[in-house]
Formats: sequence, C-alpha cells, structure tokens
Amino acid sequence: MEDRVYRCLNPVGMQPPVKTFPLAPRLDTLDGKTIHMSICGEADIWVPLEKKLKAGYPNVNWTVKKRYHIVPMELSEEERKTTDAVILGVCW
Amino acid sequence: MPYLASLEKEGIPTILINFNEETCKVEHDSTIHGIPKLRHIVASRNSVGGVSEAEILIQPVLDALIRPLTDEEQKGGLWAPHEPRILFEGTLPEAEEFYNQTEKIPGMLNAPFARYTDGLPVVIPTEERVETMLKGTSHKPDELITLQRDMEMPGFGVVESTMIRKKGDMIRFMPMYRTATVEQVAVNAVMAGCKQEMFPVVLAIAESGGGTGDGRGAGGAFIISGPIYKEIGMNVTNSIFGPGNPAAKAIGRVGSILWRNLGGYKETVTTITTLGNPIVNGGFVIAEYDEGLPKGWKGLNEELGYRKDESIVMPHPGGLIGEWGIGQQNAPGVYRSLQRTGHGAIARFLDVKGIPGPHNYLEYLTKGAWATRDGGFTLVMPPQVAQDLCDYGFKTKQEVYEWIWKRSFEPVSEFRMRGMQDFITNGWLGIEKTSGKPWKELPNDYMVPAGGDNPFDSYNILLCNMEETAVARFGGGHGPAYSIDAWR
Repeated sequence: MEDRVYRCLNPVGMQPPVKTFPLAPRLDTLDGKTIHMSICGEADIWVPLEKKLKAGYPNVNWTVKKRYHIVPMELSEEERKTTDAVILGVCW
Repeated sequence: MPYLASLEKEGIPTILINFNEETCKVEHDSTIHGIPKLRHIVASRNSVGGVSEAEILIQPVLDALIRPLTDEEQKGGLWAPHEPRILFEGTLPEAEEFYNQTEKIPGMLNAPFARYTDGLPVVIPTEERVETMLKGTSHKPDELITLQRDMEMPGFGVVESTMIRKKGDMIRFMPMYRTATVEQVAVNAVMAGCKQEMFPVVLAIAESGGGTGDGRGAGGAFIISGPIYKEIGMNVTNSIFGPGNPAAKAIGRVGSILWRNLGGYKETVTTITTLGNPIVNGGFVIAEYDEGLPKGWKGLNEELGYRKDESIVMPHPGGLIGEWGIGQQNAPGVYRSLQRTGHGAIARFLDVKGIPGPHNYLEYLTKGAWATRDGGFTLVMPPQVAQDLCDYGFKTKQEVYEWIWKRSFEPVSEFRMRGMQDFITNGWLGIEKTSGKPWKELPNDYMVPAGGDNPFDSYNILLCNMEETAVARFGGGHGPAYSIDAWR
C-alpha cells in the first residue's frame, strides 16, 4: 500500500492571462507640463512634498486630488487629456 | 493599481510612492494589471513631519518622470502562468511532504510560509478523494464558480453607492483575481478535511469569495442558517465556538486554504496584512439554532430574505476586524439572579433590587460598548436570554438592533476623535448618513451613531442551544447571504 502511486490534484486557482504593456514614454522636460499629484491614504510625506514641489518647480502646472481612502480619486477623461504625468502615493 | 495601469496605457507617465515593505506587492500588483515595469519609489513611514523624507524623494520622483525608458520598460507581452491539473504523483508519504512544504519569505524575516496549506497538515487531495467530494454537488467539475443570483452589495466608506452584481458574474479570488472550477474548490475542501455532505456549504463559501475579501480576508468568518446544520452535524450547543466538532473545524478551516490557493495569498508578496486575525485564524464557522427563537423572532435565513427551510451561509462582516468580548461582562449566574429575583451586580446597575424580571439586560451590556471602538456587534445567546428580551418587550430581533443602535449615539465633537473614522469618512469630506449633510457642516453637538450606519447591518442575534445564560459578543452584524441549496 505504501508503494502505491497516487495522482494528486492542484488546489491553486486559475490565473487569467494578462497582456503586459510597455510604460508610457517619459517627459522630455518638466517646464510647462501639467503634472498631477494623486494623494491617497494617509497624508504622510505629502504634506511637505506637495509644498516643496509647488515651490521648487513653479514652471510646472501642478494639479492635485486628495482622498483619505486607499483608492485614489481618478482623473476624469477630460482631465487626462490635459495631464502630462501623474505622481501617486502612498496607496495604489 | 488599475488606475495607474490605465494612465500608463493611455500614454501618461506615472511614478508611485510606496512604503518599504510594500515593494514586493507593488511589483506583483503591477504585473497582474499589465504594467510589470511600473516605476515606484520607496518612502519611509517614520520620518518626523515628513520634511527630510520629502527632500530625499523630490529628485528621484521627478527623475522617474523624465528619465528615458529602458529596453525592458519598452517591452510588452503576455503573462500567463499555468498550473497543471495534476500537481503531484507519488506515494502518500511523498505527497504529504510535497503538499506540506513551506517557503521562506524575506518580508517575514525569512519565516517559513506554507505553499499550499494554512500551516497545518492537510488531507492529500488524491483523484479518488476529490471524485468522492464532487458527489456532494450536482454542479459539474469543470463549472466555473460564479454568482448564483443577482445581488445588491451596499457601499462602504468612500464607495457610497450600492453595487449591483449579476447572476453568472465570475467570482474572483483575491488578491490574485483568480478564478476556479468546482473541482478546484473540491480539492481545497478535501485538503481542509471536509466530508462530501459539507461540500455545498464550501461551494457557497467559495461563491462568497472564499474568505479572500479584498485580498486581506484572512480566510473569513461564516454563519450558517437553515436545516443543513443538522445534515452535516454542526454543533449548535455548548462549546459552539470550541473544538471537537468536525464540521465546524473543517469548514471553518477551508476559508484560510481557499485564501492561500485560490486567492494566492502570500504575506508581504501578494498581500500585506497588519497583525492578522486571531478570531478567524484556524477557522470560524458557526450555525444558528433557530429552533430556540422566541415567537416572532426570525432566523438569520429569514432575515436575509430566504425561507425558514432554506439553508444559507453569510460571510460575517466582523471577520476582518476580529473583536471579541464587546460590552460589559458578567458571570452567567449574575444574569440569572437579575432575571429571577432582581439581585446581583446587574440588578444594582439597573436599580431593580428585589424585583424579578424580565429586565432589559442590554442596558447593562451596552454600557461603554463604544468607548474604545465603533460599529455594531453580534450576540450569540441561549434561548432563555432571547426569551427574556422578548418578554421585556422586544417582539422582534429588529427592535433589539434598533434599541442598541440608538444607544450608540454621541456628539460629533466626540465622534471626530475616533481613529477609524478619518478613513471611513474620507477625511470628513463625505456625507453624514443620518442627516444627509456634509460632515464639515454639522455642529459639534449633533448626535451621530458610533454603533454603525444602521441597525440591521450593524447588529445580529444568533441563538445557540444552551441552558447557561452566557452571551458571546463579537464585532460585525449582517452581511449578504449565499444559498447553500443552490450548490447541492
């Protein structure tokens, strides 16, 4: 009995295949660009970071959306048309 | 992560700021959402005021938006891991060694973590055992686990709107968004030690998400209501939460195993929890003894829209929180003294000395219940305590829920000092539900419920067949119901 070979099944669920994409091309410069700060989760380092980014890079058009929740507040379709880059943290 | 993925796919470059122990999960999530090379930067949780941390991060954050992509970051493709149906062939001792193997997880200081189990030895899922388990349902082995009826899911926190789910919707097991067949659930049921007659319950648990939650489900907690408890031999009496009952142990355990195998839970890699949940660790499933209900009091199945003769499983919403022993405690004999002769500590508290009951025990129980926590709770009580409440004047369970909920009201000024509410109210930017007004417009003396959004969702009463007048109290009220009968 101890030598009998058993076929034993797999308990792992099925992973749907995922098409992977290249990242979006990066910016050539920050000047004159619209960069969006997507703040979610606890405020944490965003309190000083938001101030420093705005003060240190006045040639950037900074936009901000804040949400205390772990789910970020998203840019609308219209807003995305005029947004050049997004900095998101600390949740995702 | 879906948001970041959509931005990158639309041509908007992004950079994610995360915390150190989250890096593995970030890389995992970004792969699942199709952007495996997502740029991210680690920040410290601990820098005081965040000022020095902000100084450190500014350049790397901005650099990530302008530094040209590498060859790897410009690649697309397909991520399609495949799991074979037969995982292992060998003798039983070899299979035991294989299924009970562990791996070391760096994020857990290289503590061993079970690859296929909840950390305890499992019953080996041989083809023969799985075939036997599958006889417990009329559903085909290759049928995907889907929702068996249309359902409304209430909103929570910032997600205020009700979500409608449709019959036939695929069930996704988190955190890996996996799907599963009836056979794969059967494999896990065998491993947990379930018997064939328990399988419809396990399938209903799988339909509810299998205890995976949003990926941090901890295996879940489940309440069974309906005649099935007798068929599968669940204990609804003394030691309802204790060891010894095979059905309670095996079914209670299955959520953790589903979380591991169907959901893909791997601590600090695919999910990051905080401390875990001791209440559900090892399994939490109980069944209701509805035969002891006072006249006019509904069973859980009836409360959730089913008939008395229908069997359901309800994922218990308190399963994630894991609070136990809420409210004022007392020895069972002190309760009896209160109701029989009007003596003892509770009688002194209620100022009914020498007056036999029925008295409202809830006045005693709920004193201070929200001093250090918010939300509702479930009471598990013997028939005598339920009858005393009914005799006192609570002619339905709903009347009890409403009484308790109203007792939890407090001024906004106090409510604003509750640690969970900063998160639940989205930093107080949302709408307070009893007034319909923005939180920020409410005066400090406006009274709001600390004990949950509404009586029914926040509270629950279940009976267990016991003579001793003890009452168990744990966090969570009502949740959605899933039909066990649909899986017979």
